[in-house]
Amino acid sequence: MILIFGGAYQGKLDYAKANFRISRICDCQRAEEPDPGADCLCNTESFVMNCVKKGEEAKDWFVKNAEQLENKIIIVTDVSQGVVPIDKDVRAFREMNGRLMVYLAEKADRVIRVFCGMGKDIK
Amino acid sequence: MNTFISGGCKNGKSYYAQRLAQDTAERESRPLYYIATMIPRDEEDRARIRRHLAEREGWGFETIEQGTNITGILDRQEAGEDIDMGGVFLLDSVTAIMENEMFPRKPKGGAGEEIRTDLRAPERVKGEMLHFAGAIREAGGAVVFVSDGIYGDGGEYSSSTEEYRKALAGVDIALAEDCERVVEISYGTAELWKGRASEQPQNREPAISKLRRSGTPERENR
Repeated sequence: MILIFGGAYQGKLDYAKANFRISRICDCQRAEEPDPGADCLCNTESFVMNCVKKGEEAKDWFVKNAEQLENKIIIVTDVSQGVVPIDKDVRAFREMNGRLMVYLAEKADRVIRVFCGMGKDIK
Repeated sequence: MNTFISGGCKNGKSYYAQRLAQDTAERESRPLYYIATMIPRDEEDRARIRRHLAEREGWGFETIEQGTNITGILDRQEAGEDIDMGGVFLLDSVTAIMENEMFPRKPKGGAGEEIRTDLRAPERVKGEMLHFAGAIREAGGAVVFVSDGIYGDGGEYSSSTEEYRKALAGVDIALAEDCERVVEISYGTAELWKGRASEQPQNREPAISKLRRSGTPERENR
C-alpha cells in the first residue's frame, strides 16, 4: 500500500496520477463508501467525515478490507495542523483522520508527503 | 535563479528569505530589492510596516511598493524608473498579493469600505507571477517568492476563504514548478524540496540569533 498525504489543494491526486499507473480512482467525496477494488482512493478524509456522522470508526473499514487494499494508493488530506476546531463533529473528524493516517502509515510500504505538487518519501 | 519559499506562520520564512536574497545579491554584486506587498488600511497595519522597515534596516534592501499586479514593476522600469531587472527581488508575500487582488477594497461613501471577491484574480495572479519570474530570470536577475502554508487545517472555512486557499495553492504549485529552488521552512529549519543544498544561504552575520541554527541539516531531495 502507498499512502500519499499533504495539505489541502497541494496536488496530491495529480502527483499520484503522474507517478503511478492508476486506471480506476474512487473519489470518496462522491462515493458513499470507498471501493476497495479501485487502484486509488482519493479524498479519503470525506469518508472519515461520513464515519463521524454515522458513529463509526473509519479505520475499521480499512482493517476489514486490508487484503484488497494491499496494492492500492490511498490519498488523505492532512488536517492536523490547525487550531482545535470549535465544532464537535469537526473535532472528532480531525482526530479520527489522524488515527486512520497513523494506521495507514504503519501498514504502508511507502508513505509520500506532497507539498506544492512535489512528493517526498518519508517512509 | 528563482526560489519559492513556503511554510507555516511565524516559522522564520521571511528571515530565511532575507538572508538568501542578501547572500545572492552580495555574491553576485547585484542590487537588492524588497517588494513590499502590504497595502496599509489602519494604524495597526502602519505599525506593522514600521516594524518590518526597522527589521530590514541595515540589510541593504531598496523597497519597491507593489501590492497588486506584480508585473507593474516591469512596467515601471520600462517607464523609466530606476529598477535593475538583473537585481535580486524578494517578494514577501505572494499571500498578500493574492489577498489584495482577490478581495479588493473600495472606500464606500461615508465610513467603512466595500469588499467584493474578484473571481478572475486567481488565474490573473498566477499568470502575472510566472511572467514576472520569467522576465527577471531572462534579465539575469533572481526572485525569491515567499508564500504561506495555510493548508493543514481541519476546520471548515467560509466559501470565499476556501476559494482563496485554493487560489493561493494553485499559484504556489505553479511557482514551485517554475522556480529552480523550492524550500519549506519549519521553525527556522529549511527543508529543500528542489535545488542544490550548496546554494543555501550562509549562516553568518547580520544574523540575529533569534533563530536556532542547529536544527536538522538541510538535505537534498531524493
